[in-house]
Amino acid sequence: MAGFQLRFKSTVLALALVFSSLAIADEANVTWAELSDAQHQVLNPLAAEWDTLRPWQREKMLDIARDYPKMSASKQALVTKRLSNWSRMTPYERENARKRHQQFQALSADKKNELRKKWQEYQKLPESERARLRAESPDAYTDADLN
Amino acid sequence: MNTNENKTEKVNDSHLMNDAQLMVEAQIANHIVDLLDHRVQQLTPVEVQRLSAARSLAVSQLTSLQTQAASHHGVNQSGHVLQWFGHHVGQHKIMSSALLVVAMLLALFVAQQFSFTHNLENSDAFLLASDLPPEAYADKGFNAWLDSN
Repeated sequence: MAGFQLRFKSTVLALALVFSSLAIADEANVTWAELSDAQHQVLNPLAAEWDTLRPWQREKMLDIARDYPKMSASKQALVTKRLSNWSRMTPYERENARKRHQQFQALSADKKNELRKKWQEYQKLPESERARLRAESPDAYTDADLN
Repeated sequence: MNTNENKTEKVNDSHLMNDAQLMVEAQIANHIVDLLDHRVQQLTPVEVQRLSAARSLAVSQLTSLQTQAASHHGVNQSGHVLQWFGHHVGQHKIMSSALLVVAMLLALFVAQQFSFTHNLENSDAFLLASDLPPEAYADKGFNAWLDSN
């Protein structure tokens, strides 16, 4: 009887996991036409390329659409403006950005201001110089870090 | 006034008698213990066996009483808390399994909600709306330039 109980519980747990995985996969496979109006509005910069995105890319973008209503109008405008570039970044670049963003958030206000100024300075460097710096920097993450 | 003094004397007498009685009882108990200690050295194997059997019987009866008391308060012999919901539920193993699955799903839901709230500020949406553009975070060259400056 104990063996039956264990098998039954394992089966129910496995089925729950399978169904939840299928639900997530279905959500990520949704086409542009199947998105809601609210999702269309947020993800509009990606309209042309949505159906070419991979499921895991769509999933991340849908997460952005989910969090979008919780933001102020000015932040929402920034998201809309930066979304296209974000979708075109490589997984390496996105993972780098996430880790760096977490580190940035932990900084003091003075340090954040300093970094903003530094970014402006860096933007003024010649493109060839920035390309050289990028080429000389090793990738910080392995394939295991990417999604 | 005399009545009060009489009452006080009676109370004092009563306390003295109680103390004396307790001392006598303690002396008798000590005497019994001494006798038992002395006698235990002379027990025959048959007497030892009978005493052991009597002790086992007493222990098993005590255990049985304690189990019944626990069952009466909602937990049966196997520690099954479903008894709280009545015997009908407790007798069905499938209900036990279903309750376990529901509890696990509930725990999963609570954990997901906590994780969602905790990670909200670290989500991609908040990264895009950050003070710096995503390119600033992703640009390896910028990091190298910062390190060198």
